[in-house]
Amino acid sequence: MTFKKSILFLGFAICILAGCADSYHWTASHPSYHKAPYGGIAVTGIENAFVITRSNWFAKRLEISTDSIQIKGTQHCRNIFETEMRKAYGNLIVLPDTANTKFPEESLKLDERIFIKGHIPEQGITLKDSVGSVPPFVLILHEFIIGTDLKREIFFDYALVHNESGSIRKPDNVSAIFSYTLWDNLKQRPLFSAVDEIQQPITTYKLSNLTNLIQIAVQKIRKNLAEGVLK
Amino acid sequence: MVLVAWASAAEVYFDSRFTLWKDATVYIWTLDGNSPINANEFCLSLRRNNTGIGEPKCRELGEWERDTIATRYGSWLSNNIEKGLPSNYLRVRHPGMAAKIQALEDNIVLFLAPQGKFIQVAIFDETAQEPKAVGIVKANKDRIALSDDIAATFFNKRTKRRLTKEERLKMQTEPDDLYKEVPNLNIWAGIGIGYSQAHFPLTPSNWTSSHTKSRVRNYRITKDSVSLWNFIEDDDAFLSLYAGLTWHGFIGIEIMYRYSNRDMKTDNSDTIYQELDHWNFGQHDIGLNALLSMTYPITPWLDITPLFFLGFQYTFYAEDIEPKSGVKTPSRAYQYRIKFEDVYKGALVGIGGQFVFKKHYGLDLRAGISSRGRDIYEAPSPDAGAAPTTIGRSTIDCFVSLGFEYHWTL
Repeated sequence: MTFKKSILFLGFAICILAGCADSYHWTASHPSYHKAPYGGIAVTGIENAFVITRSNWFAKRLEISTDSIQIKGTQHCRNIFETEMRKAYGNLIVLPDTANTKFPEESLKLDERIFIKGHIPEQGITLKDSVGSVPPFVLILHEFIIGTDLKREIFFDYALVHNESGSIRKPDNVSAIFSYTLWDNLKQRPLFSAVDEIQQPITTYKLSNLTNLIQIAVQKIRKNLAEGVLK
Repeated sequence: MVLVAWASAAEVYFDSRFTLWKDATVYIWTLDGNSPINANEFCLSLRRNNTGIGEPKCRELGEWERDTIATRYGSWLSNNIEKGLPSNYLRVRHPGMAAKIQALEDNIVLFLAPQGKFIQVAIFDETAQEPKAVGIVKANKDRIALSDDIAATFFNKRTKRRLTKEERLKMQTEPDDLYKEVPNLNIWAGIGIGYSQAHFPLTPSNWTSSHTKSRVRNYRITKDSVSLWNFIEDDDAFLSLYAGLTWHGFIGIEIMYRYSNRDMKTDNSDTIYQELDHWNFGQHDIGLNALLSMTYPITPWLDITPLFFLGFQYTFYAEDIEPKSGVKTPSRAYQYRIKFEDVYKGALVGIGGQFVFKKHYGLDLRAGISSRGRDIYEAPSPDAGAAPTTIGRSTIDCFVSLGFEYHWTL
């Protein structure tokens, strides 16, 4: 009986803790976001969004020299991201980063304490692809941080961003934290913005695991875009 | 019928009450320079629809029409105006455009953009980086009718007199009347009158009737001696003098003195009192209160301070008794009449409010409960059974008071 009670109590404790941890709003939808993109989408930001922290740790496991881990690692991530997006949306247009980064950086509010920083196009200016047509939806990838045991609130809650991380210990997870905005290119407004976090348990870490991380990320983005639709 | 037709021709999506000035200046901003209304006609429409508007001035806003940043925002706005969309989703993001809106001073910008069978209307003033009002009106080839429609829908409200340049400057530099630093020390002294009674309002009278209806026979006999109200008048006016201070507008201390004169409750059917001229007691209370308070500045000339107080008091009774002038030797019972304790100790608790006018002249209202009793920490003596019972061991009453105060701040 006491065992049952203690299990029940533990359950409550976990619920409360989990409830507290998830009290942030990590997504924001525009009131006019009624239909998720389907069949075609444009992406921008993928040239510079990917960042790998703890280069030495990744270099050792991915068997890439420390000097070139940023370049080669992020290049790999970018390629996988593009491939996965293409698989998901068929008609994928990749806009160069400069199409969007020429606009000033702004803040987008998701929650009382959560702000995304990123470049978003000016009101009244549409993004055009290389042949001059205007894609209706643009996924702007602001940041894609890959590291170990990262928490998104440490990066995006302005009250916590100045906290120092604890001492480096043996990591449990490879983490990806990424922020993105679905941009309505026709009406120049952010339809949906989010900060996502993925924790990938480490057994042995190989390049295939990194590939898998990006695949999960793309799946998560698609899922969130669909769930963010306001009926 | 006319009204219904007219109402359906226009729809306001939101209106966050922009200030409409008397003699307003209205700039008409269109994207292509082909305004669907004529500026002068619109001014006449304003005057027809709003008698309080005085002599408005209207003109087309060429500066914005020719400006790239403004045109981009304008086309974006026209693209984004939707029914039910909150105003903050129409916020200007470009700093250049924001600066233009800020520089409007008290002029009103009327944005007009045709959209199918309707004309979108948005109104800007300098106070916000988003439209203050947005809606649509039905497009109409008849420019005067369209002007009337817009004027009736968006400009049919009370107007305010526009301040002159000097007045604006003065307003900007004028200190805030209600701005006030909390003084370190607020000191006051006051004089007040009040009324206390043993019976608590809104309670059944039988709770206290055994005390209030009691009478003293033969100078010393009552049914019960637990309360002083068995012996002396239980409802009486009092006079009070007090002085106090609050520290940082929050916590305070107050010393007070109260005086009331209370008649003895003699049983007039007892013939022994025929020798008596008068018999009463002066009640002197000296007390110390701790206060918790908070000051709210209501107007420049009035501050209201609700307060809570808790304190203790000592009460002394001074007897005043006199047999009639003809009586040489009073009765034996007169010689052995009741004696009160030297001092009674008690507590006070209550709430109140100080209304301070012009920073110095205060009016103070209080209500509370006070008690008087013997010191309960007296060690029981072995012959306690033989000792006479204490008169007024537990005496409670309630009070209200009104005080006039003078305040200083340090």
